[in-house]
Amino acid sequence: MILNLKHIELSFTNSSREVFNLLNGVDLAVPKGKITALVGGNGTGKTTLFNVISGFQRDYKGKVVFEGKDIAGKSAHKIARLGIGRLFQGRQLMGNLTILENMMVASESRAGESPFTLLFHPQKITRKEEEKKNKAIQIFKDLFGEDCKYLEMLDCKASDLSYGEQRLIAIARLLMNAETKLLLLDEPTAGVNPVYIETIRNMIRKMVKERGLSVLLIEHNMHFVREIADCCAYLDDGVIEKFGTTSQVLDDKEVRNSYLGL
Amino acid sequence: MEYILHIVIMICIYMVLVLSANLPVGMANLLTMCQAAFYGIGAYIGTFFLMQFDLPFILLAILVMGFTGLFSMIVSYASVKLKNDYFILGTLGFQMIAYTILYNWTDVTRGPYGIPGIPTIKLFGIVELEGVVGYCVLALAVAIVSIWLFRMIKSSPFGRVLKAMRSDELSVRALGRNTTLLKVQTFFISAAFSGLAGLIYSSYVSYVDPTSFTLDESIFIITALFIGGIGNVKGPVLGAVFVVILPELLRFVGLPDAVAANLRQIIYGVALVVVMFVRPQGLLGENSK
Repeated sequence: MILNLKHIELSFTNSSREVFNLLNGVDLAVPKGKITALVGGNGTGKTTLFNVISGFQRDYKGKVVFEGKDIAGKSAHKIARLGIGRLFQGRQLMGNLTILENMMVASESRAGESPFTLLFHPQKITRKEEEKKNKAIQIFKDLFGEDCKYLEMLDCKASDLSYGEQRLIAIARLLMNAETKLLLLDEPTAGVNPVYIETIRNMIRKMVKERGLSVLLIEHNMHFVREIADCCAYLDDGVIEKFGTTSQVLDDKEVRNSYLGL
Repeated sequence: MEYILHIVIMICIYMVLVLSANLPVGMANLLTMCQAAFYGIGAYIGTFFLMQFDLPFILLAILVMGFTGLFSMIVSYASVKLKNDYFILGTLGFQMIAYTILYNWTDVTRGPYGIPGIPTIKLFGIVELEGVVGYCVLALAVAIVSIWLFRMIKSSPFGRVLKAMRSDELSVRALGRNTTLLKVQTFFISAAFSGLAGLIYSSYVSYVDPTSFTLDESIFIITALFIGGIGNVKGPVLGAVFVVILPELLRFVGLPDAVAANLRQIIYGVALVVVMFVRPQGLLGENSK
């Protein structure tokens, strides 16, 4: 297992000072080198669970064990450096940066990102920058092919790309960090056209097969989930109600009834 | 001739101030309303060192920048705890507090009476800067070095990650960047350069009092930045030239001083509104180098 969630509990206090339990003891084991889907209705806490794992939500109870180490309470940037990459729901690339800059800002190397090193290590920074650029190009070639159009658009502003294209590059960007071992993808196909959904499917499969990454994804597109996910977890009432192979979970009578409305 | 050199000195001082404001405001999207507070803190710290010690300019500049930078920690803390409009109000509060302290802590700052007779800067601890020409050369040198440094920062990985933070701070954190540290560094550099401008100003006019570092001055610096254009280096430079030269041009119209002062404020306000409507990215937008 690459990730183990042990009895995660999280509650909020609403404006009327009523305590509202969102996560009621989530236990989940995410297998290494597999694609695991996390499904469930709106407001059941899927994205909140991602926030817990990636360090954006820290006032919870329970344990988050990543590669055998308890990472509970660590800040988001430290968790990212440990190797958990996150794709946010609805968030795109940084529109004011070029495509290449968007890729380079995600590298595990932070050479030159402290202003006090700029004057003292210019050669090292230049070398690292070149390495980052080459890595970005290689990732594009690996994921989209040798003659992909993004290679000609490296200096274009990310805001010039369509929503779907930004989504593709936001996923590709997660590979810039060499430390990444687990990807948390929050609705990767939401708002994306069928052609790009196909591309996203191929990208994720490639990442798992060729780079040995593990994936935990939130998705409402059940067709996509059936095609891509090896395992599936169904979150309801703040707990994982079902866990098993994708077909086991999605064909479960209770899941079909309460979530899929079938 | 002295008059023109004086204008050049003031342009250079404002260039440094506007460039330093551009780092948090233009590059990291952290609108601060307290640049004049750092300018003032730098001026008073510089005054202290100039009056107490015979230090060469480089060492003096490092000390003033370092100490002023330390005061930026207060704003850094606010930037972590407060978001958006609340952060702006927080910086506004810092500006008011800094001014109030400078005005009322009379034992140290002499409050409204100011501190006269500030010694001139000594370049290598020996050579005293002589008159307007000497200060003009120094101010030009400091402005050129500042332009070079801020240009380097803009095109560096540090500048890139600040631009990324301006667009989407959450994603930057998810990509493994410590945005708290980035903000601390940003404010430190910004405050340090404002402090440097304060050092040159206090020594040049050989007098310092709190009225030079009011909220109006902070607004003035931000106005210059937005008129020139945020997120690049040419914009702040142009903005500084604009706001310093404009009142001087009004002198030649022959208006009485009282009218000219008010008219100047109106022109700044109108210029800012027009720029925001016609060219919201400023006269020189972000894509300018």
